[in-house]
Amino acid sequence: MSRRIAIVEDDPAIRANYAEALRKHGFEVSAYGARAEALAAMRARLPDLAVIDIGLGSDADAGFELCRELRALSASLPIIFLTARDSDFDVVSGLRLGADDYLTKEVSLPHLLARIAALFRRAELAREPAVAEETLERGALALDLKRFSITWRGKPVALTLTEFWMVHALVRHPGHVKNREQLMREANLVVDDGTVTSHVKRIRRKFQAVDAGFEHIETAYGMGYRWKE
Amino acid sequence: MKRRFALGLRAQLALVALALLALPWAGVSFVNELERTLLAGQERALLATARAVATALHDRPLLLEAAPARDDAVRREAELELQRIAQSEGRLPQTAIAQLPLAREAELAARKAQEEIAAILRGVQRTESRLWVVNRRYQVLALEGGLRRSTREVHEDGLLREAWRHVAGWLIRRPSEDFAEAVPDDVLATGRDIASALQGTPGMRTRLTPDGRAVVMSAAHPVWNATEVAGAVVVEETTNPIASLRSDALERLLLLTLVAFVGAAAILIGFATRLSQRIRRLRDEAESAIDARGRLARIAAGSDAGDEIGDLSRSFSAMLARLAQHHVYLESMAGRLSHELRTPIAVVRSSLENLKLAAAPEEIRTYVARAEEGLARLNTILQRMSEATRLEQALRTAERERYDLAAVVRGCVEGYRLAYAATPIVLEAPARALEVSGSPDLAAQMLDKLVENAAEFSPPGETVRVWLEEQGRYALLAVQNRGPTLPAEMRSRLFESMVSVREARSGPVPHLGLGLYVARLIAEFHGGAIEAADAPGGAGVIVRVHLPLTR
Repeated sequence: MSRRIAIVEDDPAIRANYAEALRKHGFEVSAYGARAEALAAMRARLPDLAVIDIGLGSDADAGFELCRELRALSASLPIIFLTARDSDFDVVSGLRLGADDYLTKEVSLPHLLARIAALFRRAELAREPAVAEETLERGALALDLKRFSITWRGKPVALTLTEFWMVHALVRHPGHVKNREQLMREANLVVDDGTVTSHVKRIRRKFQAVDAGFEHIETAYGMGYRWKE
Repeated sequence: MKRRFALGLRAQLALVALALLALPWAGVSFVNELERTLLAGQERALLATARAVATALHDRPLLLEAAPARDDAVRREAELELQRIAQSEGRLPQTAIAQLPLAREAELAARKAQEEIAAILRGVQRTESRLWVVNRRYQVLALEGGLRRSTREVHEDGLLREAWRHVAGWLIRRPSEDFAEAVPDDVLATGRDIASALQGTPGMRTRLTPDGRAVVMSAAHPVWNATEVAGAVVVEETTNPIASLRSDALERLLLLTLVAFVGAAAILIGFATRLSQRIRRLRDEAESAIDARGRLARIAAGSDAGDEIGDLSRSFSAMLARLAQHHVYLESMAGRLSHELRTPIAVVRSSLENLKLAAAPEEIRTYVARAEEGLARLNTILQRMSEATRLEQALRTAERERYDLAAVVRGCVEGYRLAYAATPIVLEAPARALEVSGSPDLAAQMLDKLVENAAEFSPPGETVRVWLEEQGRYALLAVQNRGPTLPAEMRSRLFESMVSVREARSGPVPHLGLGLYVARLIAEFHGGAIEAADAPGGAGVIVRVHLPLTR
């Protein structure tokens, strides 16, 4: 049985393009242009993953509302924001509402597909008993490459996919400086430097929430970031 | 903007106030007119007095024929001289010239006659006038009164008035009672009025006293004996009473003028000061209404006033409000535009990607690749467009921390050496830490912009110098290249949004003139300032950033 993806996007051309691309990759896609319509359909039958635009028609924040409502329906449904809005404020708002990832419309289809695949994997494995197969350990840090989850000193750190991939890129070669471009590539992200900076800031903050003394992601000014053992 | 040779409002009003000078001029003219009228009146009064006395003496020939009491040599000589002149003009008969010996009886008769005349004169004489009677032979038969006024009545004023008189004395001459009372002889010698009276016509004369200190007005009236002139009555007075009235009036006028002037000047200056203060306040607010970042403030000065300045202030405010709307529109324009463009670009991108997924012939792939290339460039433009807006948003929420600027600069420059292979970058930075307060990421972004600019304008192979030093309470971060100098007209606007010294040209990297604007925003976020200048000797351009050090 193929997985079902719901796309909520008000622009018909983008909606059709994404829907077709996803269908070509074997997903079952239902596309919606408005929030009420999407919510009603998803209430009737929950999809396996939802891709939501923030601004829907005249309502600039409809996507946020929809995300909240979906999260209320299901705590485990993977939700991706795909939007033209790229301000830090929107990213933070979106992630705080429980979205699993936040992508701007600059993202390419292959990147989007990679994320969708990763999220499905994570959702699937979350249901299975934890078997440490593909893990990467760096001191107190443990990355589960299958579930895309990270623990620090045994405590889980709730990272989005983008953030997970960034940490992964840093940790793979500790001590090596990764510049912003490399990080973007590793995270399957096409954004500008400023966004990488704010992503790194958020990652640090999430680690610090678990361990106040966390200081392992170091800034090499003008060059990038590195993982310090 | 101020012009160098502009007259202030106060100076202009002071000039306008000079028109007030017409008032004292008019006053003086009026006083002069009054004086003329008074003098004419005095003249008439003198003549009337002379006529009255003459009337009393009409047809009493005996009185006038007597020789004068004083009969000295000087007088005789003068009389002889006068008679000679008169004869030469054919006025006196030849026989009258003979000197008559004075008989004792004649002398007595003369004295009697004189007393009689004197009695008549005393009857009409006033304190300030002098009357005398002269006979046909220019002999003064009687003289009563004096020209001087008693000085006591002149000075009876307060000390203040006295002081004022003294001051005003510099400008207004007061008539003096200290003049030489002319002896009638001189008067006789030159008296046209007397001559005219002896010819039978009343005469008037105005003359100066011999010392020139006072003006004496005299009137002569003939005394008739039947049909021939027996002698003349002369009444003299100084014009001092009128002159002192005149100088009193002038003094009062001067005082009033001065008081009025001072009062008017005080009021005008006060008014002008208030006016120019209000206008200056309005100007200052108008000048600072648009701050360095191009933000608009409201104008408060005089906005409640009901007059024209209030109107001006309100229309300024209205104009600024409209400007602010426009400004907000422009400010958000780049951001909105890039946002609005994202959706159509996403349509194009996703379509192209779908096309790639489809099994397409080779020819189509080439075009898709080109379209994607263009799309990538379009994306860069969009990012640059929204960069400043994003930075402004970021600055609003950015957290400040203390960090070592030297470490950031060293790290950055190491990175630039990799990024700009064609441009050698020289760094001079102190080994010790220079702590500033702000955001290291933003500082790095600022340096990115400065070095990017410097490298772009640097001739290939020439070095770009980056140096950091401590200057008092500030850290100086400077970037110098050896490229062309700055165009003079751009120098002050270099750090504004959407200003670029680059010539319009098509290149792979779009320039929207936001780089140095971004640098300025970051410098200001650090509480510092940024400036650009030509290097000494025209060897390139130096951009200096001063950031306050934390202690």
